[in-house]
Amino acid sequence: MTVATFSDAPAATRQRPVAPLAAAMLLPIAIVNAIGFLAPVANLFRMSFNEATGGGGLREAVTFANYLAFVMDPFYLELVTRSIGMSLAITLLTLVASYPIALFIHRAPAQWKSLLTIVTVSPLLVSAVVRTYGWMLILGDRGLVNGLLTSAGVIHEPLRLVNNTTGVVIGLVEILMPYMVLSLMAGFGRLDRTYEEAAQSLGAMPWTAFRRVVVPLTLPGIALGCLLCFVLAVSSFITPKLLGGGRVFLLATEIYDQAIVILNWPLAATMSIVILAIFGLALVAYTRVVRLLD
Amino acid sequence: MMTSLIDRDMPTIAPAHDPRPDHLVLEGLEKRYDKVVAVAALDLAVRQGEFIALLGPSGCGKTTTLRMTAGLVPASAGRIVIGGRDVTHLPPYRRDIGLVFQNYALFPHMTVAENVAFGLEMRKVPKADIGKRVAEALALVRLAQYGERRPRELSGGQQQRVALARALVIRPSILLLDEPLSNLDAKLREEMRTEIREIQRRLGITTLFVTHDQVEALSMCDRIAVMQAGELVQLGTPFEIYERPRRAFIADFVGRSNKLDGIVREAGVIEVGPLTLRATETPARGTEVRISVRPHRIHIHPHPGSARPHARTNLLVGRVVRTTYVGDVFQYDVDVGPGVMQVEKPTAAGPQPISRGDEVELEWSVVDTLVFEDRP
Repeated sequence: MTVATFSDAPAATRQRPVAPLAAAMLLPIAIVNAIGFLAPVANLFRMSFNEATGGGGLREAVTFANYLAFVMDPFYLELVTRSIGMSLAITLLTLVASYPIALFIHRAPAQWKSLLTIVTVSPLLVSAVVRTYGWMLILGDRGLVNGLLTSAGVIHEPLRLVNNTTGVVIGLVEILMPYMVLSLMAGFGRLDRTYEEAAQSLGAMPWTAFRRVVVPLTLPGIALGCLLCFVLAVSSFITPKLLGGGRVFLLATEIYDQAIVILNWPLAATMSIVILAIFGLALVAYTRVVRLLD
Repeated sequence: MMTSLIDRDMPTIAPAHDPRPDHLVLEGLEKRYDKVVAVAALDLAVRQGEFIALLGPSGCGKTTTLRMTAGLVPASAGRIVIGGRDVTHLPPYRRDIGLVFQNYALFPHMTVAENVAFGLEMRKVPKADIGKRVAEALALVRLAQYGERRPRELSGGQQQRVALARALVIRPSILLLDEPLSNLDAKLREEMRTEIREIQRRLGITTLFVTHDQVEALSMCDRIAVMQAGELVQLGTPFEIYERPRRAFIADFVGRSNKLDGIVREAGVIEVGPLTLRATETPARGTEVRISVRPHRIHIHPHPGSARPHARTNLLVGRVVRTTYVGDVFQYDVDVGPGVMQVEKPTAAGPQPISRGDEVELEWSVVDTLVFEDRP
């Protein structure tokens, strides 16, 4: 994924013909992508037109029955809107939580920068599943948060922080933050302290300088981070399943259920294609935003 | 030629009476980083409408002084007064300053007109007036047609002028320029020098100009404050700084100079190795001094013995070790024994009378013999 910046390079230099050597170097990853990504997606696409015969049975066919079933069922349509709505909310919260961190690291002295970056990224060393279990311990009815608040006398009944949407949002925001911080930092290239100084010398108070100068200059990073986190949020199913306690129904969790529990692969494939379409829309929106910024 | 040398008098430097009130006053201004002193107890008063250069090599504290004046760096001690108002503890956005950065710092996501309008918007100027004043400011820097462009679509010199327009459109109390010309090529720099000076005169705005380029400081400014290692070492008109530098460091930094080390033998007489040189003013007998003479103040005589010794001139015999043709001047490096002195002569069409290996005689006025007690 490329990072869009306010590039000074004229368009001509960007569209140079690909040299044979460069093409040769791209070949291995192209092969891996073809085998590991394109072929399975094609297979998935084909699967979505097959016919489920109940009890996990499957018949080769070309039918739109699965798509029809998906569109006709209000439950599935609600899954789509809820998945998109929640992922947008999670993305926004992740952005708000990550922006100050990214800005702080960007402005840190060089010798601190790499250390701070490593610290920020280190949660990625622990799998999302393990971190989700951690959040269950922290947020549970007898967990750390409720325990502290109860013993402090702030609350008498435990707060419902897991097995609902709140838990899913908290868990996913934390899991996605490293990706957001990295994307933001990648897009902060053109952010120079003198822009803020110039704004302040012209009479802008710090908040105004931030809003009118810093935020617009970091929009490429914001767009990239939001795209990445939105896609990851829509497609995540383990965290919603565990922290949602089976009560938060999303597209991704439903795909899991259809594919693994109910064994209706054609419907699961159909829903996967729907998710892919949502990704496609997100990518279009991102491209629009980036073009607007340039 | 002889007479002109003998008759040269000490340049009279009477402090010119300037009735203008002080507009920017720095009082005991200081900046310390832990133990390092970046700026030490600096006192400077800039008069209303005056154009002052802060001149010095990199790391001398000139930029820190400007940044403290702008409020971008807090002062460790001292006071900053702008137009009678103590701004020492005010943030930059309350100081009413116009600031031009070395890299211009034009907002890349705004058009030229939006950049210039920014400060007016911050001051809540009515929309209708903003358009008018932006147009005026862009016309002032001869960029009236460029309002809708993006900064990156402009050349370095044009960006520079936009930065100037953006700083001036808010009609600030003082204008601060931080090395504004150092990113431009030589020819453009010369043009911008004149342009900035013109605009500054026309608007009569009190201006502090940070530069490491002595030519800029000499040609543009009313007065120059020379800084060295965090201290203001001399404040004076370009004439005073160039003709009567107070330290060898200044003589060396502002313009070029020949250096010879010697000892004062008696009042007005300095011993440089086997040579004896005269100067108008000398410290106490026995003091180790550095002598400095500007290359273009030295006359070079092709035939030794042709110049008559005189009490008001210095006369040295030497051998030309190198000649350099620089187009408008010829530079001669002449070995005089204790050192090599460089002499400059304007070139003329026709054959050059002096070549390498020639024995020549150097002559200059005692007035041009600058004597210093510091040896940087």
